[in-house]
Amino acid sequence: MEYDVVIGIEIHCELKTATKMFSSAPCIFGAKANTCVNEVDLGHPGTMPCVNKEAVKKAIQICTALHLEIDSLVKFDRKNYYYSDLPKGFQITQQFHPIGKNGYIKINVDKEEKKIRINRIHMEEDTAKQFHLNDITLIDYNRAGTPLVEIVSEPDMQNGKEAAAYVEALRQTLYYLGVSDVKMEEGSMRCDVNVSLKPKGSNVFGTKNEIKNLNSIANVQKAIDYEVARQKALLDAGKNVEQATRRYDEALKETVLMRKKEGTVDYKFFPEPNIFPILLDDAWIKAIQADLPELPDVRKARYAKDYGLNDYDISVLIANKELADTYEKVMKTANNAKMACNWMLGEVSAWLNKNGGNLANINCEYLGQLINMVDAKELSNSQAKDVVLPEVMKNNDPKVVVEAKGLKQVSDTSAILSIVLEVLNEQAQSVEDYKNGKDRALKFMVGQVMKKSKGQANPQIVNKLLLEELAKIINN
Amino acid sequence: MFKDYNLENVKAKVSEALVKAKKSNELYNDVVTFVDPSEQLATMPKSGKMLGIPIALKDNVCTKGIKTTACSNILNDYVPIYDATIVKKLKDAGAITICKTNMDELAMGGTNLTSNIGACLNPWDTSRMSGGSSGGSAAIVASGAVDFAIGSDTGDSVRKPASYCGVVGVKPTYGRISRYGIIPYSSSLDHVGYFTRSIYDASVALEVLAGRDDLDMTSSNREVEAYSDNLNSDIRGKKIAIFKNVYDGLTNEQTKEIFGKLLANLKAKGAIVEEVSFDEQLLKAILPTYYLIANCEATANHSNLDGIRFGVRKDGKDVEEIMINSRTAGFGSLIRKRFVIGSYGLFVENQEKLFRQAQRVRRLIVEEVKRCLDNYDCLIAPASNDIAPKLDDHGRDELSNEYLIVENHMIIGNFTGYPSMTLPMGLIDGCPIGVNITCRAFDEQTMFNIGASIEEITGLKDLKKEVA
Repeated sequence: MEYDVVIGIEIHCELKTATKMFSSAPCIFGAKANTCVNEVDLGHPGTMPCVNKEAVKKAIQICTALHLEIDSLVKFDRKNYYYSDLPKGFQITQQFHPIGKNGYIKINVDKEEKKIRINRIHMEEDTAKQFHLNDITLIDYNRAGTPLVEIVSEPDMQNGKEAAAYVEALRQTLYYLGVSDVKMEEGSMRCDVNVSLKPKGSNVFGTKNEIKNLNSIANVQKAIDYEVARQKALLDAGKNVEQATRRYDEALKETVLMRKKEGTVDYKFFPEPNIFPILLDDAWIKAIQADLPELPDVRKARYAKDYGLNDYDISVLIANKELADTYEKVMKTANNAKMACNWMLGEVSAWLNKNGGNLANINCEYLGQLINMVDAKELSNSQAKDVVLPEVMKNNDPKVVVEAKGLKQVSDTSAILSIVLEVLNEQAQSVEDYKNGKDRALKFMVGQVMKKSKGQANPQIVNKLLLEELAKIINN
Repeated sequence: MFKDYNLENVKAKVSEALVKAKKSNELYNDVVTFVDPSEQLATMPKSGKMLGIPIALKDNVCTKGIKTTACSNILNDYVPIYDATIVKKLKDAGAITICKTNMDELAMGGTNLTSNIGACLNPWDTSRMSGGSSGGSAAIVASGAVDFAIGSDTGDSVRKPASYCGVVGVKPTYGRISRYGIIPYSSSLDHVGYFTRSIYDASVALEVLAGRDDLDMTSSNREVEAYSDNLNSDIRGKKIAIFKNVYDGLTNEQTKEIFGKLLANLKAKGAIVEEVSFDEQLLKAILPTYYLIANCEATANHSNLDGIRFGVRKDGKDVEEIMINSRTAGFGSLIRKRFVIGSYGLFVENQEKLFRQAQRVRRLIVEEVKRCLDNYDCLIAPASNDIAPKLDDHGRDELSNEYLIVENHMIIGNFTGYPSMTLPMGLIDGCPIGVNITCRAFDEQTMFNIGASIEEITGLKDLKKEVA
């Protein structure tokens, strides 16, 4: 039977703020356990929440970037439940009045553009982190109270690929906004996916399963692909899909049952009495919106227009904001945009992968000069890559390096010709071999010329002149 | 009173206060924890509006390094890691905390009979209750051991015990004093309040306590006024509204007589005194409305008391069982009952017709009172029908028709957030009874001025039942 797949995604994203959502304790990822906490985060008696203005600002930036209508009357509610990672016994969230409603983001899958609608975005606070050991549970409250936004999509995705593209598009947007680290592996971006199947064309939704705690975008896709196949097999066999919460097991490459859907929990939401509704100043909202950092889509268009790069190159560059930022700096010096792009994606990335180091430390002017030297054929590709690039990465001037190492490529035809003639004279046997159709002989003679030129001769010119001279000899 | 203290006599006065407080505690059980004042004395500022004045704090005020139990077993060993904002303010003003006082468990009660250390007795008659929930603070001020004590007022928890113990009990406007660091009962109804034995001291104390606190987003940005400098007992032309529904509900002839005499004297001083009636239906709704809002908020507010991070922990096989066991053992039965009511009122299927409906009724009551105060400077009524009840009169914390209006009208001050104050108006059988006045939002000055005038009329300034 044919099915329509219905996928909706809820994303929790930690906001990168100096302090917590409702307290003045610092937010530092990876800090020693229970060092970034104060009495508010620990839910001590008598403590009260104080709304972090910076978090509200970042939420507004996100809403703006994702085209949501912003509710300028900010209200919070209590979500009540008992759990040992929830210090107050309730979470402060925005159940009844989310800060943003009705937005969208565009994704590209197989060259098709699609709009994924976003139902709502609301602000809330994170819980503590629990570590269940054999017979004890340890709790780290550093995360408790970290500002979060929850981004809830409409069920607009139909396969794992679209879902992955949606998460990636969101990840990029949030990253470019600078509002979050969006590291799924560190949990600063967490993804819960709802998947259900219904008979093709039906307008009745099937029973959904929620897949929790996906730690990479690749796993979003894999988990959904698996889950769709699993549900399809059940339905094809005439069985029912049971509503449940599942997780993706990387080793098994399967979604695994966590818990069956128990009776719906009543969180007894009610307005937070300790935070009066806050009416945001319209001018403040407008100022935030006017000062929005450049978003990936805008940058893509700019790269096409300013640098003439193709879609593929652009999307690879954009996916890594620091790389793209560095590219832009290099392009202040470099003349050949395509060549500079190739260098960034190829040689520079490879060098960093191998040797470590930080894009931010690169002297972009030197790197641009190096690329220009290659572009002007003043330096061979291999020398540029193997000899000069490592020096440039150490912040050494490529001109000085080339000079010092005597690497400047010779493209002067007459100078090269005299070496070519010299080699032809000395290597009579090779000339003979070449005549007899042994191609290796040509390679050998090119090598000899390069050797005599101390590697500075332009290899293409050497090749060309050798062929010309050999032809003359043969024709005589 | 505050004026009796100066830099020279600080140590002697503080020692004297401690001796009296210990005596008072032996007699009335009004103290939970005594505080060694030596460090405070050593670090006392050079000047301040309450310099060297020994004070008491209700045991729901968080004090860094000093046990704070709210008279609940679950917090029996709780030592806060921070000071409440008002504790800092009092320290900065030079006040010296000498003890933490008895109260109803988690401030949920009007009798002080529900404390985990037992009832606080009335200094005027130890067979009677002090009233609650701030009973210990009221009693210790009445005993003369201290001239000032902090309380908290969610229903009438400062103003009712003030009436029963014959002291001044002030509940300023909601947002006037920061609540940060006060173990809550019901956030939208909770107020920090306090006890003194004179209006002048009350006016000075508010200058110390009031003001915006960024840790309490509900605190007001309004400037703090010079209440004591501006204190003026001349009430000529002031319009005073007699709360007629309460007056009509009085059954105690002596109370009526004392109140009637007071009104006559206010008129004689030039005030315009008129009767005002409120919609009886709304007034009957006060108590159920209060119970719903207070218990719904309380059940969430106290969800943090789970034995995991602080407080008394009872073992269990996993964290969930630890929480259940700790909470079961940690709360008294009245508290558990209130949590159940609160939870029920918040259930998704009940919330609209219970909690939200209660909030709407609250709004109607507030509007009714506001209309009255648009035309009058002050609403006046006896704080209670009678003097403090006997200790075995247990019905006080139950819903009952008997007490609906006369005994619960002061909740209006919590619904509206308007400043409200009780001060002694007379004695019946040797026990005090108070009069309550309520004014417009942030008009504490008028409240103090009218209070000062009443003080002149009654001559009960500095009334105390001094411990020997």
